[in-house]
Amino acid sequence: MEHLNTEILARLVDHAPQPEEAAHIAECDACSTELEAMRSQTDALRSLPEIRPPQGDWHGLEARLRSEGLVNDPGLFRRLGLAHTPGWMRAAAAIMLFLSGTGAGALLTSPDAPEPLGDLAMLSDAATFANTAGVEQAATAVRVAEQNYVTAITRYQQLLISESGVEAGGDPMSRYAALEYLATVSQAAVRQAPGDPYLNGMLVSILGEREATAQLVASRGNWY
Amino acid sequence: MKEISAGPSESQLIRLAADGDARAIRQLYDRYSPRVYAVVRRIAGDDDLAQDYAQEAWIRAIRALPTFRGDARFSTWLHRIAVNAALQALRKSETRKKREGPVPDQVPVAPRGGDALLQQRLERALDELPYGMRRVLILHDVEGYTHEEIGDTLGVTSGTSKSQLFKARAKMRDMLTVLDGAAQESGVEAWSI
Repeated sequence: MEHLNTEILARLVDHAPQPEEAAHIAECDACSTELEAMRSQTDALRSLPEIRPPQGDWHGLEARLRSEGLVNDPGLFRRLGLAHTPGWMRAAAAIMLFLSGTGAGALLTSPDAPEPLGDLAMLSDAATFANTAGVEQAATAVRVAEQNYVTAITRYQQLLISESGVEAGGDPMSRYAALEYLATVSQAAVRQAPGDPYLNGMLVSILGEREATAQLVASRGNWY
Repeated sequence: MKEISAGPSESQLIRLAADGDARAIRQLYDRYSPRVYAVVRRIAGDDDLAQDYAQEAWIRAIRALPTFRGDARFSTWLHRIAVNAALQALRKSETRKKREGPVPDQVPVAPRGGDALLQQRLERALDELPYGMRRVLILHDVEGYTHEEIGDTLGVTSGTSKSQLFKARAKMRDMLTVLDGAAQESGVEAWSI
């Protein structure tokens, strides 16, 4: 009998041989050696290790997850250990924080600029109120948030408009980007509390301001 | 798969990840990315494609997480998604990039001393296998699928799967013999099966 071909030997790795195949293997050293080699090859394949992805693989994936909206940024609240703050309170406080320290920060770099409108204490206050969990305290928190918001938006407008009526700080594109962010946060807040007149009013104001800024940008094609 | 004793349980991680928690997703990625990347890399037969396919697999998995009910183990569920993502992507690419030159160094999770040379040869031979044979060999001999499962995954009969497997094993054996012969001729340590 001729030697068994490699495809037959490949089958015999995990299938029983036909009687004539078994008889041949029993007598043929070359074929039995080759069958053992084929079995070793299959065992080796089964034992191949996992492979670590190349460096930077996670960053590419993370960027795509974010771009597809599959990741929620843990955000400042979680980083500060305030993850249990109610959503509406987070949004309101985020807006205040943005107005006081982050979004308007670029406008406040001038030595003549007024002091920032607030700091993390405002955020902590809001969160503290929220954590107390009482209805009355929550209502107080809303009032405080509202007062702070009115103060903040007034100061914000003061910063943007100089005495001569010309925008004082930043370029229109930066302002538009800041308002875009503010609108996103406000929309999130409204989703948390759709019937809240204060949040709805805030959102309408911000969207109006954003639209006005967009028109300003469009009218000044060569503003840069 | 190693279990992590501290921190959130796997089901907690899955729930958090389904809600878009970046840390939970990262932990699942850290735990399972070597397994996902390995199967995708071997199906792709190419490092660049493998990165794309692995990313696609993770995106699909994270997107589908809210539908994961725990009927199967998460690792099994994820693995199936990875295999399907890689197979579909490879099917779509009409002209598969053919790598030239030496096989890039891969980083096995647990390189096992003297086996490193054998593993390298096996990976290289796998890359060189025709696509039809390679995917069946990987699914059966590396990943442990049954012929029925391969049939379901690839849309072929189990008989076709068997036939492709035997051809693939034979081809692998021939290629490894050639690789060993070339290694011995050039004075490099050979691993003979």
